[in-house]
Amino acid sequence: MKKLLAVLLALAMVLSLAACGTKKEEPAPVAEPTSITLWTYPIGNWGDEASVKALTDAFTAETGVVVNVEYLSYTDGDDKVNTALTANQAPDLIMEGPERLVANWGAAGYMVDLSDLVDAEDRAQLNPAAFAACETADGKVYEYPLVMTAHCMGINYDAFVEAGADQYVDIENHTWTTEGFFKAVEALNAKFGDNVAAVYCGGQGGDQGTRAIVNNLYGGTFTSADHTSYTWDSAENVKAISELYNTKGITFDPAIVGGDEINLFRQGVLKMAFCWNIAQQLNTDNNDAGLTNDGQRIEFMSFPSETGASQLCGGIWGFGIFNNGDEAKIAAAKQFITYMCDSAHTAEAVKTANYFAVRSTAGGTDISNVWADNEIMNEYNVLMQYLGDYYQVTKGWAAARTAWWNMLQAVGAGTDVQTAVSQFAAEANAAAK
Amino acid sequence: MKQTNKPSMSRVLRRRETFSAYLFLLPSLIFFIGFVIIPMVLCLYTSFFDSKLNANTPDVFVGFANYVELWRDPVFKKALVNTLVIVVVSVPTVAAFSLWVASAIYKMKDWMLSAFRCIFYLPVVTGSVAVTVVWKWMYNNYYGIFNYVLKGVGAIDNNINWLGNPSTALWCIIIILFTTSVGQPIVLYVSALGNVDASLVEAANVDGANNLQSFWKVKWPSIMPTTLYIIVITTINSFQCFALIQLLTSGGPNNATQTVMYYIYYTAFKLYRFGYGNAMGIILAIFIAVLSAFQFWLAKEK
Amino acid sequence: MRTRKNKGAYYVVSLIILIILALLFLFPLYWIVTGAFKTGAEINSVTPVWWPTEWVTNNFEKLFSKRSAPLFEIGSLTGPVVPGAIRWLVNTVFMAVVAMVLTCITASMAGYALAKKRFTGRHILFTLIVCAMALPKQVILIPLIREMSTLGLYDKIWAVIFPTVGWPFGVFLMKQFSEGVPGEILEAARIDGASEARTFSSIVVPIIKPGIGALAIFTFINSWNDYFMQLIMLSSSSKLTISLGIATMQAENSTDFGIIMAGAALAALPIIIVFLIFQKYFTQGITMGAVKG
Repeated sequence: MKKLLAVLLALAMVLSLAACGTKKEEPAPVAEPTSITLWTYPIGNWGDEASVKALTDAFTAETGVVVNVEYLSYTDGDDKVNTALTANQAPDLIMEGPERLVANWGAAGYMVDLSDLVDAEDRAQLNPAAFAACETADGKVYEYPLVMTAHCMGINYDAFVEAGADQYVDIENHTWTTEGFFKAVEALNAKFGDNVAAVYCGGQGGDQGTRAIVNNLYGGTFTSADHTSYTWDSAENVKAISELYNTKGITFDPAIVGGDEINLFRQGVLKMAFCWNIAQQLNTDNNDAGLTNDGQRIEFMSFPSETGASQLCGGIWGFGIFNNGDEAKIAAAKQFITYMCDSAHTAEAVKTANYFAVRSTAGGTDISNVWADNEIMNEYNVLMQYLGDYYQVTKGWAAARTAWWNMLQAVGAGTDVQTAVSQFAAEANAAAK
Repeated sequence: MKQTNKPSMSRVLRRRETFSAYLFLLPSLIFFIGFVIIPMVLCLYTSFFDSKLNANTPDVFVGFANYVELWRDPVFKKALVNTLVIVVVSVPTVAAFSLWVASAIYKMKDWMLSAFRCIFYLPVVTGSVAVTVVWKWMYNNYYGIFNYVLKGVGAIDNNINWLGNPSTALWCIIIILFTTSVGQPIVLYVSALGNVDASLVEAANVDGANNLQSFWKVKWPSIMPTTLYIIVITTINSFQCFALIQLLTSGGPNNATQTVMYYIYYTAFKLYRFGYGNAMGIILAIFIAVLSAFQFWLAKEK
Repeated sequence: MRTRKNKGAYYVVSLIILIILALLFLFPLYWIVTGAFKTGAEINSVTPVWWPTEWVTNNFEKLFSKRSAPLFEIGSLTGPVVPGAIRWLVNTVFMAVVAMVLTCITASMAGYALAKKRFTGRHILFTLIVCAMALPKQVILIPLIREMSTLGLYDKIWAVIFPTVGWPFGVFLMKQFSEGVPGEILEAARIDGASEARTFSSIVVPIIKPGIGALAIFTFINSWNDYFMQLIMLSSSSKLTISLGIATMQAENSTDFGIIMAGAALAALPIIIVFLIFQKYFTQGITMGAVKG
């Protein structure tokens, strides 16, 4: 009788496989022109269907390669890519930064080495810091960079003036000191009450902001200079976290992430935002660029540090290719990268991203003046000199950034700062081995 | 549930019966075995490996290492406790609350009855993602409606960060789960109460029983099957709280809303540890199997 | 007299509590619907705006312009290009209806066999079903993704439907209902020489119909709300469901609540309208079944 059961079960399995097998054949018709898929995160207007379609249509018209674009969100984009990898159904092209493309999927062996796309001339043209982040120690290039920016802070300047806190900022140079920062928070807290700033830690969204504020306050670093270990348990960082935690007006909020913080800042609830960059400064969703929803003036600021000369977290975005084993598709994807990042069309691709180009010449075309007519972009250039080390390519990055916001949550929940920092930094360092 | 079992069924008859039974079972078994049992077996298999999301490193057999690590993982323990709390709290409260609502409304005028029934059912049909978006705003620390109202009436001085406070976050999740769970039980109880034999209630009243007594003596036993069904579906529902947690707290703050269901997902796709995640799945499966078997046994006893 | 008075007071108090609770339960839907028509300023206002001062439709316009996809794709046949949200709605309805129909067919057949047939392996199978019926799908997250990929079903709506159909709660439920089918009728049918299939379709099905109704509703709503399976199995924007689509609408640095409210309204209203129209059937279906449990 047991045998009968086994036979029936086997039959059931075969049938189910057969049923699925026939369905599998459906999408088989081979498209004559090569078609590739591109998954893009919302990097400026690279998250906007109409803008991207204009670019890809032009590419298709020139090369005959069809590009199917899918738009990821930062909320579940990583999970989508990871499920797709688990299912061996990764896209051909992906647009994001080295922290994912190099440190994550590249290190896990899923990306194609693009070093053949980068010749000596490209190396000379590309911003060295940006390109260094895209290249591994053993010379593999997992991302071809397109644009970059420096992440900064935003302040509600009108509120600062109202609270008399504008004296602590050098608005000309967009810098301030640690001392000035805490005095400003105190003044704002006296004027507006509890919600001056929030150390958001609900997840990884916008976490570069919380890292930058902590690191800069007393000159700490997030990783060692050679990117082999995590150093956020250093005395400087512990001091910074304790100070932030003890300062009235700054809340550790595990219910929000960077995007929520920006919303609160735009709504005028929070008086400063740790999650800010040029794209935010240019955003016109609810009011003109550089204004809160109620029309108060927003100024971008460098993070405060003891000297005023801070180390800003860089944002670098570009393209990577997943190795799906199909040479034709890989070749087409490379063609796409060259078209977007190293040709006469690069200017358009850069403009769509709303950030700065990583090179001044692309494919023989001068693109240094892409933003020449944009006043805010020009002004923002003062911050680019503070662009710091791109440490997000340290091994075990995904686990380390997770440990980071878990640590902030623990601190926010009342755990002793030193204890929390040591415990979670140890987790991060375990992942770095 | 009882059926006279013919003790002396002949062998041939039994074989024929078995064959036809499996024909009836076949379509269901294809799906059950194909998409529940086979993945479960694969899950068990992978749980003995150090398997990562990585194209370069092959899976390494580690025996029970993942299970040993689980045993020592404080987050997993926390997740297990939270999962248990969610089920243990929400199942009886949903059952009790819906019974109370049902008994309060089942004798009302038709239009009132159907209005209430409808309203309590709405969160179920609105969809969990849509409902969650609104609740997230309601709980908001800075401008959410709860803080707005409570501050307005002077009940609190400072805003409460409902989802950000480890001592309130899990309850916030349970409340949302509650509003999306009571719809069906209320509908079920309303009709179950309506179907209670009126003459029995009358007889009890004539015997001098008060309302409460007649409820326990007459109504409660006759709605027992409904209660059992409600307990089963509410238990199932409580284990489906993944979306709420993913969209609201991601298991935070400080793992206060971590559940095993979310922790598996987190381990797999944030930490890339497939083997470890699968080991967690196996433990959860055993846990739930025992719970379900216990519930069923309880149901059978009654 | 006294008890009557008490009863009256109890009635009034419970009515007041019920009304307050009802308002709380109504609130999310009210907020979604009004929010969908508010201006950006009102949605982002720090003090709640209870009623839109001006009803605008630009949230829907933004939602509809965000993504586009063909209305349907059957083999090589594709429909006209429509806003992504409409396609997601089509996908969701298709998914829920197919899952519902398949579950009802397979579960009622299996439930009948389990209840009325004495066969080898019955106890093992039934134990397995009871143990697995409350299992959350996260347990088999990774193997399921891999399996779907092997079968070529990843990123297809079938990858969401099949595991839903495989979930054994339906079989359990239908087994409980089928217990109520009198053995004598089945015996009589057998003596009359009716085939197994005929016995099932013309005798068993009519008797367990209320149970099928209950299962249909349960499956439809569960599958409509099964965000998790949709999240892990679907990735192309033309394959998304409406819940997933709304969740994906949140960009990193600016969540446009207007779009999300519009999407939520779009997701909720069709199923609520269906519910209101078929309310009687809905509630009856669930009811009669459970009583026999």
